[in-house]
Formats: sequence, structure tokens, C-alpha cells
Amino acid sequence: MTPDEIRIKRITITATEEVKPLWERIDRWWLLFFAVLLITSLLILYRPDPYGRIFVFLQDGIRVTMSITVVSFLLILLVGLIGGLGRIAKNPLIKGIASIYVEIIRGIPLLVQLLFIYYASPILLRDFGTKLIGLWPSMANRLINIKLNPFGAAVAGLTICYGAYMSEIFRAGIESIPKGQMEAARSLGMSYFQAMRYVILPQAVRVILPPVGNEFVALLKDSSLVSVVAVADMTRRGREFMASTFLALETWMMVALLYLVMTLFLSRIVAYLERKTSFVR
Amino acid sequence: MSDNVDNIIEIERVSKRFGRVVALDDVSLTVKRGEVVVIIGPSGSGKSTLLRCINHLESVDSGRIVVDGIPLTEAKNIDKVRAEVGMVFQSFNLFPHLTALENITLAQRVVRKRSQKEAEEIAHQLLAKVGIPEKANAYPGQLSGGQQQRVAIARALAMQPKIMLFDEPTSALDPEMIKEVLDVMLDLAREGMTMVVVSHEMGFVKAAAKRIFFMCDGRIIEETTPDSLSLAACKEERTRQFLSKILI
Ligand SMILES: Nc1ncnc2c1ncn2[C@@H]1O[C@H](COP(=O)(O)OP(=O)(O)OP(=O)(O)O)[C@@H](O)[C@H]1O
Ligand SMILES: [Mg+2]
Repeated sequence: MTPDEIRIKRITITATEEVKPLWERIDRWWLLFFAVLLITSLLILYRPDPYGRIFVFLQDGIRVTMSITVVSFLLILLVGLIGGLGRIAKNPLIKGIASIYVEIIRGIPLLVQLLFIYYASPILLRDFGTKLIGLWPSMANRLINIKLNPFGAAVAGLTICYGAYMSEIFRAGIESIPKGQMEAARSLGMSYFQAMRYVILPQAVRVILPPVGNEFVALLKDSSLVSVVAVADMTRRGREFMASTFLALETWMMVALLYLVMTLFLSRIVAYLERKTSFVR
Repeated sequence: MSDNVDNIIEIERVSKRFGRVVALDDVSLTVKRGEVVVIIGPSGSGKSTLLRCINHLESVDSGRIVVDGIPLTEAKNIDKVRAEVGMVFQSFNLFPHLTALENITLAQRVVRKRSQKEAEEIAHQLLAKVGIPEKANAYPGQLSGGQQQRVAIARALAMQPKIMLFDEPTSALDPEMIKEVLDVMLDLAREGMTMVVVSHEMGFVKAAAKRIFFMCDGRIIEETTPDSLSLAACKEERTRQFLSKILI
């Protein structure tokens, strides 16, 4: 490009930026979020019976749903990073373990995994404990008397399941960075992990941000499954309320609206971050 | 030959294959301290592979490579060698998420453990040396190809390497940018940097090279000097064929 062409291009870019009205620049999907938020608030404020009552009853559940989602998600990111690095490892043992984990976990429904962890794994641990009693009594007793905390079991189940999918996202993200980047970093004397940390992952993050954000939204919705393992999340509280009042329509309407408010909000945040972090290669 | 302290790179009978492709076939080559050596040859003849073996971006199947007295065998030696050898790639390979300055300071800080301030001072000096002091805060995507390649050279120089490897540093550049990169390389050669260069830029070869090696099918088939670089002087038919295409 000649200097003139560059200048013209620069002018057109600034021009389009200036001319664009506010209406064009804001993400219009926010309107849907605010509409749903408004409907939900109006229902709670102007129809306190039953919607206000339902909302108050659900409040604890909302908190549980949020904390389960956030805690699991942080662990899932960790598992995803380790699993993703494992999947691309040169060492065949590490690679094998990571690949088997991903393949097996992706083949079992999340609901079944949660039921397995909560109801079946204590039996396995107890059996193992009875076998261990001669060798290591203190450990054996611990295993035999094990009692799973529902919240912990739910977080473990979600982490193991979503960790497998997250590993694949991390793997794909890392592999999408051109090979020359790792070579340039290594040829400057950086170790593999230094190169990952300072060169590959910061670039991969921009690639994986959209799918990771989508996983977070999906996790929030799938967290409703933990209601089957005695965790009093929003869905379980909804079931309890319905059982005592028989207000099926109102209860599930409220639960659905509350999930929708949360997921629509998160989707907009994800979309915003996506735009914010894209860069020219 | 392996005891000669003047030899900074010693490549002895190195072979390397990729599956069925023989990329290097029993290659031996020594480079003296301060020498500029140029490797030329047709596409696929193994030039890049040879260069990449010197800092162990590729491992060799057989043979021996010693860089500045350090044999390239154990893992800990590899990092030592890489710290002494700078490499410049055809496709620049700048880190696109970092500014020019950050590209040059990153390895100084994490490998050489220099302070941010010291690393930045060195980076600014090097950017001035390669002629783009005003581009410190530009991202690679905002630089022309020639500017990117000069940042890449500065990035390698920041590690104070004893050897610089150049793999076709100008072949991805538009003609008007080639000179600015070659000028930087010529300066380096004059300062006494040991350089191994894969390049078909005959102007540079004649001005800077001490020795020229022709590669073909994974072998070094001929060695010559810039003074005797002419079709008639070459013994091998394939060298003559190749030269007739690149000499004007
Ligand atoms: N990673 C790899 N995997 C498989 N084959 C490879 C790999 N790298 C190089 N080769 C093969 O080895 C041979 C030598 O390649 P090399 O890149 O060293 O050639 P070159 O002389 O640098 O060619 P060019 O001028 O095209 O860059 C070629 O046949 C190439 O296809
Ligand atoms: Mg090459």
C-alpha cells in the first residue's frame, strides 16, 4: 500500500466509527435480557402471591446454583488445562491417560455420572476399605465410614464431566496456534512450560474464550441435574415448593425465568469479552 | 577436527529422516568463530533441517553436533546451546499478542532473568540498531514484513547469542523491504557475528559470505567462496543447473 492508500484507509475507518449511532454500537441482545429481567421483576413485585413467595422460597437455591456453578467452573478450567496439555504431551503414558479420560467421560451421560458418584462410589470405597482393613486400619476405617457431602459430590461430578470437554477445548485452542510460535520461544531458550505460559496460552485464551464461555452457560443449566443428588439448588427448591403447593405452572415459570435471566446475562458478557479480546494476527 | 577451539559449530556425519524422506544424509560441516557461512540449494534439499538441527529444533538420527564446545546430546545442554544460538525464521514468528518491545524483552526476563528496566533498555538499543526505534509500542500486526523481520532479529540479538541462524529471512518479503533486512544482517556480519545463513540473495552472499555450501538431496555436494562463485568454477552439474537460475 502506498502512504496515500494507507491514509485513505485510516480516514474511512475513523469515519465509520464516528458515524455509527449509539443504537448500532450496542449489542441489541441486551434488550432481550432486560425484557426478561423486567417481566420477572414485575411478576415478583406485582403478583407477590404466588410469584413473590416462590422467589423468596427459591432464594437459597439460587445461591446454591450460583456457587456450585462457579466453584465447579474454576476446577473445570484447571482440569481442562491439565487435560489439554496431557492430550498434546509427547510422553505416551501421559497422553494415553488424558485421552482415555476424555473418551470415557464423554461417553457417559452427566446424570448417570452424578448418580454414580453419589450413590455408587461410596459402595466401591467401602468395599475397598474392608479389603484394606488388615493392611492399613486407619485408612480402611475412614473409607468404610465415608459419607459423601452432596455439594462436594455434585462439584466432583460436574468437574469430572465438564473437565473432559474442557480438555478438548484447551487442546484445540493450543493446537490452533502456529507451530512457529513454540519454535521461536524455544529457540530463545525458553522451556516448554515457559513457552506455554508466556507465548502459547495467552494467544490460545483468545481462541478458546467463546467456547469456554459457552461451557460456562451450559454448566449453569446442567447444574440443575445436581438436584438428583440431594443438593438444594434452584431446581430442587422448585420441586419442593411445587410438592407443598401444587402450583406447577407458576413454580416452573419462575424457575425458568430465573435461569433465563442468568444465562442471557452471561451470554452477553461472553459476547462482550469475545469482541474485546480479538486481535489482528 | 573436534578439538579445534576455533570451530564454534561442528557437525559430524549427521543424518536425519522424516519417515521415508531422507532430509539430511551424512552431512559434515564446521563453522569457525566469526565466520559467515551461506547454505544454498533447491527446495527440499535439507537446508532448513540442517539449520534447525543446530539448535535442536529437530533431533538428529545419527551423527554429532557440538556448538561452542557443548555437545547437543543431553536435555540440559540443549537449553544451554539455545541460549547461545539466535534464530531468525522465514515467517518472522513474532509473538502477535506482544508489542515489538515486549517481544524483545520477554525472553530476556524469563530466560536471562534481567529486570524489566534493563531488558527494556537493551530492547530500545536494539530497535535503534535495526533502524525502527519508533516502533517499540507497535504490535506485529501493525508492522510491515521488513519491520517485523527486523524486530525478530532484535529479539534474537537481545539474548546476546554467539551464533545467529537465518532461515531464508527475506524470502517472505516484498522486494523493497529485502534491502532493509539485508543491511541489518550485513552490519552484524561486519561486527564479527558468527552466522549461518540460508539465502539466495546473491548480493548479500557476495558481500558477506566467507564460504558457500550447496545442498542437494540432503547432502552438501559442493563448497566454494564468493570470489569463485561462477557457473564455470563449479564442478557439479546440479550446482551449475541451480546457479544458472539464481545468478543474474
Ligand atoms: N517436519 C517434517 N515432517 C516431514 N518431512 C519433513 C519435515 N520437515 C522437512 N521435511 C522434509 O525434509 C526434506 C528437507 O526439508 P527442508 O525443509 O530442510 O528443505 P529446504 O532445503 O529448507 O527447502 P525449502 O527451500 O523449500 O525451504 C523435504 O523433503 C521436506 O519435505
Ligand atoms: Mg527451508
